Amino acid sequence: MRILLAEDDDATAALVERGLGDLDHVVTRVACGDDAVALGLDTPFDVAILDRMLPGIDGVEVLAQWRASGVTTPVLMLTALGGIADRVAGLEAGADDYLVKPFALAELAARIAALLRRPPISAAPATSFTVGDVTLDLLRRDVRRSGREIRLQPREFALLEQLMRNAGRVVTRTMVLESVWNFHFDPQTNIVESHLSRMRAKLNEGFEHDPIETVRGIGYRMRGDV
Amino acid sequence: MSEARARRTSAAYRIAFTFSAGFLLAIVLLGAAVYLAADAEFRRQQDASLVEETGELVDAYRSQGLADLRQRVGLRQTGSVAQFGYALFDPSGRRESGSLNTRRPATGLRDIVVVDPIEGPDPARALVTRLADGRTLVVAVDPEALERVDRTILVIFAGAFAIVVVLCGLGALLLGSYLRRRLEQISDTARAIVAGDLSQRVPVGSRGDEFDALGESLNAMLDRIARLLDSLRQVSSDVAHDLRTPLARLRGSLEAMLDGPPDRAALKQALRQSDELLAIFAAILRISEVEGGALARSFAPVDIAALAADICETYAPAVADGRRMLAWDTGAAAVVLGDRELIAQALINLLDNAQAHTPPGSALTVSVTDMDGEIALNVADDGPGVAAADRERIVHRFVRLEHSRTTPGNGLGLNLVAAIAAAHGGTLAITDNAPGLRATIRMPKVRP
Repeated sequence: MRILLAEDDDATAALVERGLGDLDHVVTRVACGDDAVALGLDTPFDVAILDRMLPGIDGVEVLAQWRASGVTTPVLMLTALGGIADRVAGLEAGADDYLVKPFALAELAARIAALLRRPPISAAPATSFTVGDVTLDLLRRDVRRSGREIRLQPREFALLEQLMRNAGRVVTRTMVLESVWNFHFDPQTNIVESHLSRMRAKLNEGFEHDPIETVRGIGYRMRGDV
Repeated sequence: MSEARARRTSAAYRIAFTFSAGFLLAIVLLGAAVYLAADAEFRRQQDASLVEETGELVDAYRSQGLADLRQRVGLRQTGSVAQFGYALFDPSGRRESGSLNTRRPATGLRDIVVVDPIEGPDPARALVTRLADGRTLVVAVDPEALERVDRTILVIFAGAFAIVVVLCGLGALLLGSYLRRRLEQISDTARAIVAGDLSQRVPVGSRGDEFDALGESLNAMLDRIARLLDSLRQVSSDVAHDLRTPLARLRGSLEAMLDGPPDRAALKQALRQSDELLAIFAAILRISEVEGGALARSFAPVDIAALAADICETYAPAVADGRRMLAWDTGAAAVVLGDRELIAQALINLLDNAQAHTPPGSALTVSVTDMDGEIALNVADDGPGVAAADRERIVHRFVRLEHSRTTPGNGLGLNLVAAIAAAHGGTLAITDNAPGLRATIRMPKVRP
């Protein structure tokens, strides 16, 4: 996938380029806002990583110019500013995701993967997901495995939905915290793990195979191959 | 700037002098009106006296005859106070009696010129009447009296005007300098602050006028800025003081790794240490963002009871996994004005704390109570608690009690909770739960 990276710090840029390059993405890097605007308007990219603070035009302004010109490329905004007001400003400008520096490369890769697979805005939103023998219906709010109904708590349901939307890809702990709980900070108590283990126990009761994989230190993945 | 130049450019003086000039112009207009009205009235009275005098003489002539008229004229113009001058012309136009040295004028009220043998031509006001036998009677009055009155009015007015000009000038100077002095106090304070003396405040008088109100607003603003600066200074010194130790530890372990063989465990340890440092930075930045107060602009009504119940439901499994129990009693809707995520973070910090500092088997209780005007959010445990002397201290930044050195944490959790409570106009109180510890966040309730 082609990724535009607008980042003025050489060390960070090199790290991201190498990390995403290893995942077979093609990364084009620019170091200032004007170049980012020009390149983004000129060349179609699958996803763009925009640093919030760029020399010249800042990331929010670059994004505003793209959106004003009809560029719909999904944008992940990177920032050293972790404030609530900064995040709100970034999302209001039209960023699809927001990641605070410093970040683990695995976190960035997982979020990029989620953005790359995001269905186009024009498509009708999916109302049910099927992964392997598990089916989740958003309208009826029920989960079935091999046709047998599995009763989940609302948070557990949201957690499974998140994993199934991203089937085959890693969903990190922070992504779960943001999407299921809308928490943008890291509680010391591992609420994700406790909910996941309960949800997993209900899902696997009476079945041999566990479709949810724990990716150590990063997050979880719903295996789509079974 | 010289004083003279300062006065020329001063708005205070400009306002004072403009007002004075306007006042003086009004006085000139008033004076002119009074002068013209008095003059017109005097002329009317003069004419009326001529009509009256002439009427008397004509009556005398009609009833007593010409001789009597001549006699009266003769008597009157030689009287001790000769108010009028007279002349009687025969029908051919020759002056036959009376001392007015003039030619026969046409009849009616008119201004004529009489020739005084000594003083020369002199204007006069006259009433010229044709008598029944064709003679003409002229009664004239010297306008000098009128001119004297006019002159007197002018002199009095000019004198009064001069005094008013002086008073207005002085008043403008006083008013201008008063306004300038009041404003100067404010700008002197501002200059002193710019120069670096942040303790300066605008002097506020006891009158409670606009200047005092302005001074109070400015002082309130300066106090707010000073508090922010203090908090920033505090953050800087905390950072310098409390980040140096973990940084030094990290540096030490990196240095040791340089000398030894590659060691994955040591690398992981170093990575963990840097993560801890980053967590401290994030916490400090979050605290200063909350203390900065800018978030208050986006505050919205938040139902604390529903939020607390939601978080407790989320937390119950994790607390149970840690072999503690969580019970909650959140009651009916309790709405405050605030930031949902911040309040959630405050409650979560308290829950994290309660778990970190209690032994397994402890019971945690969350409750929301609605007292008049205030919502209290309580997180209580039945653990070992905190000594009374330490209860206030643990809210401060980086304070970690001796026996909790080994538990994870950076000593910023409660400080953030206190900052969040303060940002919502509330307080954080740490009290004895007998046994255990009780943390209470009180926030003002939103009136429905």
